[in-house]
Order: sequence, then structure tokens, then C-alpha cells
Amino acid sequence: MHAVSKSSEPRKTAKMSKSREKNTKRRVVEDDEDQLDLFKENKDEAPQKQVEKDGPSDGEDSDDSDSEESVFSGLEDSGSDSEDSEEDEEDFEEEASSGDENQGEGSSGLKTKQELSFTKKTQGKPQREKLLVKEKTTAGKTVVLKGVAKDNGTVQGEKKSKGQAIPPPQVDEYEHDTSDEEDIRNTVGNVPMEWYQDYPHIGYDLEGKKIFKPIRNKDELDEFLDKMENPDYWRTVHDKMTSTDIRLTDEQISLVHRLQSGQFGDVNFNEYEPYIDFFSGETMIHPVTNRPQDKRSFIPSLIEKEKVSKMVHAIKMGWIKPRKPKESDLQFYDLWAKEDPNAILGRHKMHVPAPKMKLPGHEESYNPPPEYLLTEEERLAWEQQDPEDRKLSFLPQKFSCLRSVPAYSRFIHERFERCLDLYLCPRQRKMRVNVDPEDLIPKLPKPRDLQPFPTIQSLIYRGHSSLVRCISLSPSGQWLASGSDDCTVRLWEVSTGRCMKTVEVGGAVRSIVWNPNPAICLVAVCFNETVVLLNPYLADKLVYNATDQLIASYVEPEEERPQPVQWQVPEIEDSDKGFRLIITHPKSVKQVTWHSKGDYLASVLSDNSNMQVLIHQVSKRRSQNPFRKNKGLVQCVSFHPIRPYFFVASQRCVRVYNLIKQELMKKLMANCKWISSMAIHPGGDNVICGSYDSRLSWFDLDLSTKPYKVLRHHKKALRGVAFHKNYPLFASGSDDGSVIVCHGMVYNDLLQNPLIVPVKVLKGHTLTHNLGVLDVAFHPTQPWVFSSGADATIRLFT
Amino acid sequence: MSQLQVRFFTENAKYKVDDVPFSIPAASQVQDLSNIINKLLEAKHSKICHSNVEFDFLVRGNFLRTSLVNHMEAEGISTEEVVEIEYVQRFMAPQPEECIMHDDWISSVDTESEWILTGSYDKTARIWTQEGKAVMTVAGHTDVVKDVAWVKRDGVTSLLLTSSMDQTAILWEWNVERNKLKARHCCRGHAGSVDSIAVSPNQTKFCSGSWDKMLKIWSAVPTDKEDELEEQRDRPRKKQKTEQMGLTRTPIMTLSGHIEAVSSVLWSDNEEVCSASWDHTIRLWDVETGNMKSTLTGSKVFNCISYSPLCRRLASGSTDRHVRLWDPRSKDGSLVLLSLTSHTGWVTAVRWSPSNEQQLISGSLDCVVKLWDTRSCKAPLYDMAAHEDKVLCVDWREDGLLLSGGADNKLYTYRYSASTSAA
Repeated sequence: MHAVSKSSEPRKTAKMSKSREKNTKRRVVEDDEDQLDLFKENKDEAPQKQVEKDGPSDGEDSDDSDSEESVFSGLEDSGSDSEDSEEDEEDFEEEASSGDENQGEGSSGLKTKQELSFTKKTQGKPQREKLLVKEKTTAGKTVVLKGVAKDNGTVQGEKKSKGQAIPPPQVDEYEHDTSDEEDIRNTVGNVPMEWYQDYPHIGYDLEGKKIFKPIRNKDELDEFLDKMENPDYWRTVHDKMTSTDIRLTDEQISLVHRLQSGQFGDVNFNEYEPYIDFFSGETMIHPVTNRPQDKRSFIPSLIEKEKVSKMVHAIKMGWIKPRKPKESDLQFYDLWAKEDPNAILGRHKMHVPAPKMKLPGHEESYNPPPEYLLTEEERLAWEQQDPEDRKLSFLPQKFSCLRSVPAYSRFIHERFERCLDLYLCPRQRKMRVNVDPEDLIPKLPKPRDLQPFPTIQSLIYRGHSSLVRCISLSPSGQWLASGSDDCTVRLWEVSTGRCMKTVEVGGAVRSIVWNPNPAICLVAVCFNETVVLLNPYLADKLVYNATDQLIASYVEPEEERPQPVQWQVPEIEDSDKGFRLIITHPKSVKQVTWHSKGDYLASVLSDNSNMQVLIHQVSKRRSQNPFRKNKGLVQCVSFHPIRPYFFVASQRCVRVYNLIKQELMKKLMANCKWISSMAIHPGGDNVICGSYDSRLSWFDLDLSTKPYKVLRHHKKALRGVAFHKNYPLFASGSDDGSVIVCHGMVYNDLLQNPLIVPVKVLKGHTLTHNLGVLDVAFHPTQPWVFSSGADATIRLFT
Repeated sequence: MSQLQVRFFTENAKYKVDDVPFSIPAASQVQDLSNIINKLLEAKHSKICHSNVEFDFLVRGNFLRTSLVNHMEAEGISTEEVVEIEYVQRFMAPQPEECIMHDDWISSVDTESEWILTGSYDKTARIWTQEGKAVMTVAGHTDVVKDVAWVKRDGVTSLLLTSSMDQTAILWEWNVERNKLKARHCCRGHAGSVDSIAVSPNQTKFCSGSWDKMLKIWSAVPTDKEDELEEQRDRPRKKQKTEQMGLTRTPIMTLSGHIEAVSSVLWSDNEEVCSASWDHTIRLWDVETGNMKSTLTGSKVFNCISYSPLCRRLASGSTDRHVRLWDPRSKDGSLVLLSLTSHTGWVTAVRWSPSNEQQLISGSLDCVVKLWDTRSCKAPLYDMAAHEDKVLCVDWREDGLLLSGGADNKLYTYRYSASTSAA
């Protein structure tokens, strides 16, 4: 219905064209008429409609020739027309105006919007209606009029009632508030009724007279009684506007029930009406209109042409620039642009693909080429092989056709193994630190670049019959003195290995030191409890004669001081051997060392008392014990080459004393079990210590009391260490029979640590009684190292 | 590579063969080549005329010691072209003649046309005949005799020099006929052992090098005048007189400049002295002015040097086992011309051949005396391994007598004649 109402106008036009064709679509037209009627007529006029339907159907033939307008009018105003014709034909002028009213009256009630639209129409068509009236009268629709008469009567009545001031329900038809049909008697408006609470009236009627409240005589009791007694109490509703009780009719109640239950108010409304698909989605073969296309639709438009030419001109002139092509390619954001490629690489590196199965080859074929089939011997060999050693895990077999291939007996087994492969395959690569061990070694210069250093054994000094415990070089470098367990001291010519002198002493020589002063030719030799100062007569004649004179020039002091040792001038026979002075100690002496000036001499006693170290002054023949306390077994002592310091090595540490201030300066912790030997760098700031646990510790006195470096190149206990006087070399001799020469560069720059590079392992001594090298000494001027060994030889490496 | 194209040539007209290229096996050794030449010579001359001669072969001036192809590979000679091979008559091996026993180590040896003078560690020097007969014992030193030298022979008297660790050198006069020896002069002045002495070519001066780093030039002419020496006052003059052998002589000149002991001295001509030292240098001194002329610096201690007036080269033996050849005249470029490497110990003695400009001998602490040809620097011509201990001295007399003495108390003499016969 709604759809129809919307398109009522086009439908009319459609009908105009169609009406000329006879009877073709009569039915449709009738429907239209019927529906159009509904706009004007009230629903209540349904019986009239029925009548009208019949009427036009009868008179349609006669209307065939009617213009479209006549058709319109006939349809529209059928009802009212009849009324007019019935009442009075002469005053149709009046009628027309009243007809307007009537029409409005007729459409009273429910559809106010339609009424409004209608009123508009009617205003625009008064003249038409006049014509219509004439025609209708001629048509003579008498039958119709009968049915309408009733309504007309009521209309008339209503007209009268308006005059009588009785508020008829129809009066309210002008009220736009359609929500309340009933309340038309009270015109107070839509105000809360409480406002009238204190007044005797409740509103006003159309004449403006007060409507008085009915006399309230009902109290609670009455109410209650009413409730109890009145069977219609439940359907009685109090109307506040009129203060009346209204009893609802059955229809009203059923309406209320329907609305309450969510149904449509109209009983007859079928909400499930079959849907008529008017605008179907299907494409129609026929156009909706048959109107031919306009000429202008295929004639080029001049205006457009003008516009186009303008644009072309503008383009030519360059006023219009072609639109920049849109950058159609999508902007992508590279999520990984800033990711570290190494990280990605690393991630992929970690990936281990699952092991792949070998692809089947010809031998797996059911019908392999004959060369893949095993011969009898091969088959036997295959069977005898261990399953793990077999090249093939199966025997290639030949079948005439695929059908005759039996089920593979190892299928489950192989699947299982494959699953195991996949399951046990490492999912991640093991991170192994790929560090080249070479890189961890600190960059040291190549020994080749640190030349000169001794590389090869050049001379062997043979002559001793027992192990050579100690060696010492003359300051000039021409002579070598050695002391041995065969109770001899030998003096050698360095350049040829010639033994120039052999001096018998009274015991195994524990230590031998050449006086470092080149103006004095003396060798200190210690054996048993004695220290002997020996003049080897190997130097400039003037020098050794001067030495003899120096010793002989000693004058006894007047007062005899108690000495811890005994100074003796040797007997004549000893004197002929070269002995010049004999210092007898209370205990056996194990080491002796000179001060660089050549006057002072320190000796170490193998005694556990507090007299372990003695310092002797040769020129005054005086001895003193510098230490009151025993601070551990003293292994060796040494004088500082420049300053008045004195190094005392006990088993585990080296103590540095200041001889002038007579105090302990430093205590060097050697980190080893038992120090065997010690050497002081000619600069005086570095000390090396060899120990019996095969370590060599280098101390930088300026740096720390802990070893700057510990070298563990020897396999056995170190017996001797030595520094070269001029070259940056130091050497260590060990029980493993080898001498290791290291480059030990000490820089003047205090910030630069000494550079220590092992450069050469010199081997030559044979092990005797598990002893190898016992002492090492450097040549004073050449980069040559001497080593004395338990094999009774001294070797020179150059 | 099995065959090589070679062309033989020689400068000795006696053994000339046709100048045509031959194709010979690449692996040919010296003996094979020698046989080829002999065959060619036989074919050229009649068989009677030609007796078999041993040849040695030089490829581009270097002696062939290995197979031909190896030699050429080592020298980087292309095997594609025709190889020019020079052949010379092979030097005959030195023939050992005498073994003269001493009482102690032999520190030095010097020969004269007839006599052999050796210094020994038993503080004496000895004069021997060439046959090994002891003629005279030169005793007088109080310490080891380190070096000996003949000064000159003047009729029946000969002058000779000995230097010793007792810091003196003594000039002796030896009357051959009467076999009388007299110490003419005792040369005092050194403060260390005098390790080396050398007599100038004109035989009027000699030079001594000592451990005290000094070189001293002395007059070698015996006089009756005693040079005044500062006497030590506290020593009785009389005692000194008795000790002293001959008249005291003081040096004409003292050359100081070495910072280590001088190990060897020699005269390169009458005005120039050359000294080798432990301070790794060889220094040339002008005797007239006493200035140092130039310094050749090595890397190791020099034990000995020798100078050949024929090729004007110095040969030095050092502690790094090499014999090196130096050009003392060259002021720039490589000072070391050649290194002869084969010894395994310190080279203690080296001596040029007086007659052949390409040959020298060297003695080493490895107990071997080697005869070198400068055209073959990798391998010596001959090794003389008679010594059982360190070789301390060698000498080469003009007539081809080689001498070597060492710590085994033996002096070996060899007759080496090839050099003269080949010439």
C-alpha cells in the first residue's frame, strides 16, 4: 500500500497512456481506482467502496472516451459527487466549497497526513470538480447514492451539531493530536490535569464554558464496594480529562490484549502476507518506458563542445597541467630494514634443516638393471657384513612386474628409523667459540727480530770430573772460572775452551764469583765453611799485581773487634795456588756474591739460626751480620748494581733492604714454593727468580711486589738464572738439561712494561743423576751464554 | 727433462774440444761430464797422446757439485737454452804429508820457504823442518804463545816474532847455521794478551793486536838500543832484568779504536793495517798517520782475517760459522761479497792462497779444514778432516804446502799442487 501511495502520480500518467486501449488492463485500473479511493475515503466507508467498485465497472464503457481529467475526477470524487447531485444541483458553487469540507469530513479520523495532502489537491482543483458534477449527474449514478445516504445524513447532522455546541467526536478531527480520539469534550489542552485539582472544573468546552467536575461522591469504600460488586470493574477506566469512568468494550479489550502481546492492533492485518517482489533483481528484457530516446541524446552537445575546446585550448597553452600520475605503487614499510643482518644471519645459521632422505636409485627399483643386482659372492659378502657396515641396507631384487613385488618387510623399521632421525636430529647448532688459539697469544715480536741472542752451541769446556756447580766470567770476558764437585776450580780461556789453570780446593765448590771490578783480579770461591779469595793471575799483569798489593797492604787495626768469622792469610802453599784470603765461617757457606764495587762480599750460610747472611768488607777484613732475626731459610742474596740495596731471597719471597737506612724496603712475593736462584737486572729495577717448581718470575720493582710475569717454560726445577749486562737477554738453566734464553727488554720509559719474549731453547747438556744445567752465566760483552751442567761440562752457546 | 743442450769450452788450449752443442742427460754428474770430455779428447787426439784427466765444470762461473739439472735449478738457469759449461782440470786433492806432534795445543803457525814456526800453549814456539823435525824450541814467554811470525831471512840468520798472553811480543834472532837463538827485543806495552802479530810486507815493521783492544806498530829491525820504559819504582830493577828476554822495545804507534779485543791483524800493504775484532768490526788503519781509514761492520765476532793481494779481498772467519769475503776498498754497496758456508763451528783461521786468487783454506772449531774456491760458495773443494780437535790455525805456503794446527796437538801438512799445475 505504501509503495502504491508513493507512486500514485506516475501511476496516473501511466494510466493516461493506457486508458486508450480498451479493456487491456482493466483490472489493474480498477485496482488503482480502488486504492486511490482509499486516500480520500475513510475506512469506515468500506461498504461504499464496494458499491463504487460495482458502479464504475458498469459505467466504464461510457467513460471510455473520457479525457484523463474526467477519469481523475470520476475516481476521486465519486462519493461527494453523488452527494452533491442528491442534495442540490444549483448551488454547486457552495457545494464545491462544502464538498471540500465534506471530503475532509469523509476522511476524518485516522489518516491525517493523507487528508492534508488531499486538501492541497482539492484547493488546486475546484473547477474540475464543477465539471465533474455535471458529468456525474448525466451519468446517473443513482444506485450509488443510496448507500451513501446514510453517511450524508450523519454529515448533515454533524453540521447541525456544530451549531448546537455539543461536542461531537467528529469536532476533534482538526486536532492534530491524534493520540486521543476520545477526549474531545474538554478543550483544556495538553496540560497536566493536576493544575485543576483545586478548581471545581476541569477544563473548558468548545464554547469556553467550564466543565465542572462531576460531584465526587465516591470514596474509598465506594471504590472498594465497586470493585467487589461491579463485575465490569476490571474494564472500567477512569478518564482524568473528563473525570468519568469509561467501560471498555470487548473490542477495545481485545485490542489491548493484542497490543500487550505484541501483535498488530488490526485483527485482519496479516503480517505474513506473501511478499510481492515488485522491483525484482532480474534484468527485464523490456525497458520500463517505451519512450524513444531524445534527439539531444545523440546529437553532440554544443555546450560540451565549447567546454571541451576551451579545455583543449587551455591544455595547449599549458594552463592546465596534466594531473600528476598518482603514485599508485603502494608504500611498503620494510619491517626488517633496520634489523642487524648478522642477527638474521645468526638466526639462519642456527637453523638445522631436517636430514633429507636419500632419493631412491636404480637399485631400489623392482626391476633394476642387471648391473645393480648382486652376484652370489657379493650377496654372501653382504650377508656376512655387519648391518652397520653394509653399503646397501637391502638386497636389490628383480621382479617381473610390479604386481609380484611382496610387501616390504622392513617398512615399519625404516619408518621408525626415519622418525628417529628426525627426532634425534639436532635442532640447533651447537655454539662453539671459534677462536684461533694463535689469536689468544699476545702479539710478541718474532725472535728473529730480536737478535742477537745465543742460538747454537759453540764450545764445550771439558776438564772437570764431576758436576760443575757454578761458573763466573771475568769482567773482561776473556776468562771463565768454574767450580765443581771434584773440589777444583778451573779457569778457562773463553775463546778456545782451553783450561788455563786448575786450582785444587778443599771441598766441593758451591759458589764462585769473579770480582766485578775490572781493576781487581780476584775470584771468590766458597766451599765447605770457607770463602777463599783467589787471585787467578789472569788479567793484566799490572792489575793482578796491584790486587796482590792491595790485599797485602792491609794493616791490622789496633783494637780487635769480635768477628763472626775468621779472616786468615793463607799458608805459603795455598798462597802459591793463588789463595789470598781465607774467610772461615762457622757453618758451611752456600753462596757468595760481590758488590759491584768489588770491596764488599756477601755470603750465605746454610744455617737456620739468625746468622744466615754475612757481609764482608775485604779491604778492612771486617764482617758483619746485618740481620738480627731469622726470616726463613735464605737461598741467595745479591747486591743492587747501583744503589745500596740488598736482595735476600728466602724460600718464598725476596726481601729488599736498604743497607744505608737499614730497613726493609720491599717484599717480593714469588708465588712459588722454593726459590733457587735470583738475578738482578743491570738497571736494578727488575729481578728474576728461578724456583725449584720450574717457574721463573720476573719482578718489576716499580710495578708491584707480585711477579710481573711468570714463565713456565722449563719442565723441571730451575737452578740458575742470569741477566746479560748489555744485551736485553736473560737465561735460565734447569734440571731438564736446557737453557732457555729470553729477550727481556726493559725500557727507560716508566710507563712501558718490560717486553719478555722467549727466544731460544738451548740444549746440549746430558742429564746426569737427574740433574741438568746447574748454572748459567752471560758473557759480559757478547751475546753468549755459558751453562754448567751435571755432566761435568761447561758449554758456550753463541 | 731428460736431455740438456750444452756447449763445452775451456781456456786451456791443451784440452780444447770442438765448439758444438751436445745433448747430454740432465742428471749428469761431474764424473759423467768428465768422461764425456775425455772421450771427446780421445777421439780428437790419438789414444796414446791423451791420458785420462779429471775435469771440473763451471756453469756460469760456479762449480758444478750436484747433478747438472739440480745445479741449474738452484742457480735459476734456464734449461731451454744451450748451456755453456767451462771445464778446467780438476784440482788435485791435497795430499797429507806430515803430522808433527806437539806437547800442547798449537795456537799458531807460520811458514817460511824452509822452516815451519809454530806457537804452542806450552808457552814455547818451535821451529820445524818441512819434514817434521824439530829444529829449535823458542822458549822465553811466561805464558801461552798466541801468535808467531817470520820476519825475514837474512843469510844464515832469520828474524822471527812470537807474541804471547804474557802481554809481550819477542823478536828473536835465529842463527840457522849454529842453530842459536837469541831474543833481541821484548816488545812491551800491551795490557792484555797479544793475540795476533803481523809483519809488514817490507819487513821493517810489525803490528800486534791485543786483548786490550789496542793495535801497536813496532819496528821489526833489531837494534842494540833499549827503549826507555817507564819503570815501576817499587820493583827492583835487577829482578826485572833477569826476567826480561832481550832489550825492551816500545811501540812506534798505538792504534786505538776498537771497543773489544783485537783478534787478528794483517798488513794489506806497507802503509795499511787491517784488524779484526770482537766488536764485530774490521778496521783499516793508515800506519803513516795512525788514523782509522774505514770500518767494515759485521754482525758477529771476527776471529781471523786474511788478505789476498791477488784479488784484493779480505776473508774473515767469524763465530757464526761463515767465511765471508769483503772488499776493503769499496765504500758503498754490499761490503760482503760472498759467504762461504759449510763449517759447523766458529771459523778460527782463514788463509788465502798466495798463488791462486780464488782459493783459500779455513779452519774451524768443528775440527775440519776446508779448501775453498770462491766459485763454489756452498760447498768447499775439499775437506781435510784429519784433526781430532779444534783447529786453531792454518797456513798456506806459496809452493802449495798447507798447514793446520789445532787443539789435538798436531800440525798437519798437506801438499796441494793442483793450483800450480792447472795454471
